[in-house]
Amino acid sequence: MKKQSFFKKFLYSQKVAPYVFVMPFVITFLVFFAYSIISMVVMSFQKVAGANTVFIGLDNYKVMSNAIFQKSLKNSIFYTIVSCALMIPIPLVLAVMLNSKAMRLKSTFRSILFIPALTSVVVAGIVFRLMFGELPGSFMNQVIGAFGKGPLVWLRTPATVWLVLYIVCLWRWTGVNMMYYLSGLQQIPADLYESASIDGASTVQQFRYITIPLLKPTIIYVLTISIFGGMAMFSESYMIFNGNKSPNNVGTTLVGFLYRLAFEQNNLGIGAAVGVIFLVIVLVVNFVQLILNGTFSGKER
Amino acid sequence: MKRKNRITSVLLVIFFICVAAVTLLPLILLAVSSLRPGSDLMRYGLNFNIDWATASFRQYRMLFSGENNYFIWYKNSLLITVVQVALALFLSACVGYGFAMYDFKGKNILFACVLLVMMVPTEVILLPLYRLINRMHLINTMWGIILPYLVVPMLVFFFRQYLSGIPKDFLDAARVDGCTEYGIFFRIMIPLMKPSFAAMGIYQGMSSWNNFLWPMIVTNNIDKITLPVGLQSLLSPYGNNYDILIAGSCFAIIPILILFVIFQRYFIEGMTAGGVKG
Amino acid sequence: MNKKLIAGLLTTAMLTSTFAGGAVTAFADDGSTQGTNTFVDGGTEMSFWTFQELHVAFWTSMADVWNEQNPDRPINLTVTNGESHSTHSKLLIACQSGEGAPDMADIEIGYYGSFLKDGYLIPINDAVEPYKDDIVMSRVSMYGDAEGNYYGVDFHLGETVTYYNTELMDAAGVNIDDIVTWDDYFEAGKKVLEATGKPMTAVETADLFLPQAMMLEKGVQYVDEEGNPNLVTPEHAEVIDYIREKIAEGTIEIAPGGGFHTEEWYGHLNAGDVASITMPLWYMGRFTDYCGDLKGKIAIAEMPVWNEGDVRAVLQGGTGTSVIKGTENEQLAKDFLAFAKLSKEGCTYEWNELGFDPIRTELWDDPAITENKDNKFLAYFTTNPFDVLKKNGTDLTAPDISGQYAATYQTLVSTTYSNAFEFSPDQDATELLQAEQDSIIF
Repeated sequence: MKKQSFFKKFLYSQKVAPYVFVMPFVITFLVFFAYSIISMVVMSFQKVAGANTVFIGLDNYKVMSNAIFQKSLKNSIFYTIVSCALMIPIPLVLAVMLNSKAMRLKSTFRSILFIPALTSVVVAGIVFRLMFGELPGSFMNQVIGAFGKGPLVWLRTPATVWLVLYIVCLWRWTGVNMMYYLSGLQQIPADLYESASIDGASTVQQFRYITIPLLKPTIIYVLTISIFGGMAMFSESYMIFNGNKSPNNVGTTLVGFLYRLAFEQNNLGIGAAVGVIFLVIVLVVNFVQLILNGTFSGKER
Repeated sequence: MKRKNRITSVLLVIFFICVAAVTLLPLILLAVSSLRPGSDLMRYGLNFNIDWATASFRQYRMLFSGENNYFIWYKNSLLITVVQVALALFLSACVGYGFAMYDFKGKNILFACVLLVMMVPTEVILLPLYRLINRMHLINTMWGIILPYLVVPMLVFFFRQYLSGIPKDFLDAARVDGCTEYGIFFRIMIPLMKPSFAAMGIYQGMSSWNNFLWPMIVTNNIDKITLPVGLQSLLSPYGNNYDILIAGSCFAIIPILILFVIFQRYFIEGMTAGGVKG
Repeated sequence: MNKKLIAGLLTTAMLTSTFAGGAVTAFADDGSTQGTNTFVDGGTEMSFWTFQELHVAFWTSMADVWNEQNPDRPINLTVTNGESHSTHSKLLIACQSGEGAPDMADIEIGYYGSFLKDGYLIPINDAVEPYKDDIVMSRVSMYGDAEGNYYGVDFHLGETVTYYNTELMDAAGVNIDDIVTWDDYFEAGKKVLEATGKPMTAVETADLFLPQAMMLEKGVQYVDEEGNPNLVTPEHAEVIDYIREKIAEGTIEIAPGGGFHTEEWYGHLNAGDVASITMPLWYMGRFTDYCGDLKGKIAIAEMPVWNEGDVRAVLQGGTGTSVIKGTENEQLAKDFLAFAKLSKEGCTYEWNELGFDPIRTELWDDPAITENKDNKFLAYFTTNPFDVLKKNGTDLTAPDISGQYAATYQTLVSTTYSNAFEFSPDQDATELLQAEQDSIIF
């Protein structure tokens, strides 16, 4: 009886409670992620072949000099940069317009723009793959046909492949990012704008000197998730090309390359090495980004 | 001034009508095409040229006929989504609360781990994770899909943000009143967090319902796979089964759409209140 | 709120379950299926993965036949079908982790090397032994290693032939019996182009059938004897230059969709927009399934050769069924596999239902098969595929898929041919092949 109450007291103490709360995370983190990441790092130094697995030092990292590795790395970086360049300003402008006083039917448009995010990448991939099909009758070829242009081979020409990937990205995520911005905008006090317009500030000036600075935390957040999303891009390409293959690797990303090595060619060690490289890149990029913006976690505002 | 406002208003609405039309276009195209026979699509491509003489709900009747596995996948996906949303919301809320309301040793390191998990795509740790789930004998089960993602870093991050808006004195007042640490969480915080639950419920519902890669790897049997995996399995290298695929894709959007329409007010509210403050 | 949310979801779930009614996992005519044979009490439970729905019925039917003939060793087989890429990846992941793999699986030729390389498969030499004299052995031994072990059996022989659109040939006044060499073929192609404006044939950028067939005829493989990638050969460069020349001339087009298994291609082919195509005999099924408009207009003939008098016979494509290491029923699985694929019953089923040219030679002379009026494949084509088989005999060149073939194949179909024919048609072929070879990771 006494013991139990001691235990209870311990468990209910203010010192222990936080650990109880974060316990689910600690457990899943240790069991699933820490274990997985460590075994991946170990594998990256091995030639993995069932019972005949041997350590081979840094050999797997020679993959860095491979042409396709470099191409997929470039693809991933290019995709990330351009998608950030698209996914930060466009939803922001839309959100500001939607948030303006003159706007009507706000919630309707807000919901409609969010709908694509509800569809799975499988469904989105199927629709866009077919819309951009190379048959003269496929939708996009009809559209450009109306402007007198001949049918295009959308998914086998590098420029249009990227175009399609960005369109899919814009289509699926504009609504989501806009939602983040809207929530940020609603926290900016309205009287700030009022006093600014009394002082004669134009809409553009208000946007530049009030909206942007006050929205900075949201912008940083959107940037962060855009970087995660951009670097991790794989499923979109997988669905658009109906498999992890694209002509001349135009749409092969680092994750796609990793998947190909490890799960299509059975080169686990090299695949793991690519995984480690990927991890390092993402970590560095994000920490640099967070530090530059002076908003490292933990610190309360 | 008034007049100018009205013009702006009209222009804005017209602009957004265009944006909305472009946004909805692929889905409308999908819906229209679901009425066309699959062989038509193969021959002419996906477009709006619908021949009403051949248009029919035949594809939907095929879906509902029970002659295929579509509704088994549908059921699997629904079950997994419901269970995962419920568990992930509760557990992530606990964790987020722990991070937001307490100062404890190792907090910063642990939170950095949350961010780390957020950054690592599933693909990177697929194999070790698969081995683990296999050793736990969870292949082909719902728990195999759910367990590694019980605590969702994104939700933890969000709940932490949301709760850090609540003053800590509030907690001390409750403690003075004799509330235990867990009592505070269950009796005071959870009710306060309602809007954020709605927001994250939709978010998690979306990602569970649409999750593709991990369920594909974990499940093998045709009666255990989820809807996106099932739909993707209709694409075969020897020609795709468009009849079921297009109608099935269309119908797959519906539950999550209903959920969104019903709860969207709370969703916006929750997102706003949670707001990203940095 | 939370409760409401869940309640809402549950209601939806219940509603849909009602809709679903009594849907059961049975054979269905949509793309994905799971099937079992007629249950036999006390039968050994075995699992099987495939990536082609038609194979589900094949395996379960063969299990029934097996159980009838071997009442002392009955099998209860569960066949699961899934999308090709993901099924192969999943199988590989299961093999790599040593857990969760099925007893047997269908493995597509492009992926086969990945499984062979690290010993995930069990040799089946002893099980094949009793059938050895009745079949074309090169189709079996190709799924093997340098030590003489073989690990898989195919569904078909997969002999490569040329399918001609007779309407276009007639329009151009071409007699296909006169075509012997590739030069003859493309001379005829010029006539076709002139008369109809249609290309003679197409080349894939996302697959390798035409260049591979041409290379095999020259006796050259994509991997060397040690199994290392070997793309940079003079013959390979010749083949690429030859195809490029014909593309420039207009007698070869780049296949719409990039490959012969895309919806764009099927539409194009069915519309009669290409005059001929060189593919293995198993491609007959694509004609009957996707090109209904061409019924009675397609002739099958031997494919052209480089020099008059050359052996025309080449095997391409395929799916090796193998027993996966870790099975508890090794012997039973091997015996069943050999029986299903190599027995008369199995080969007859494969021909009748799947349109696969039989690996078992006695069927080539069986009038019940070769003259069967009800067979949809014989009814579709204007010439009899068995005539081609008999003419070419059993000395057939198969692709070497050992060693690093899987990695090599991935490069060929993702970059090599799209670079060679579409993106850099002017780059020196040898140079291009060297760059491609350097990019292969193994």
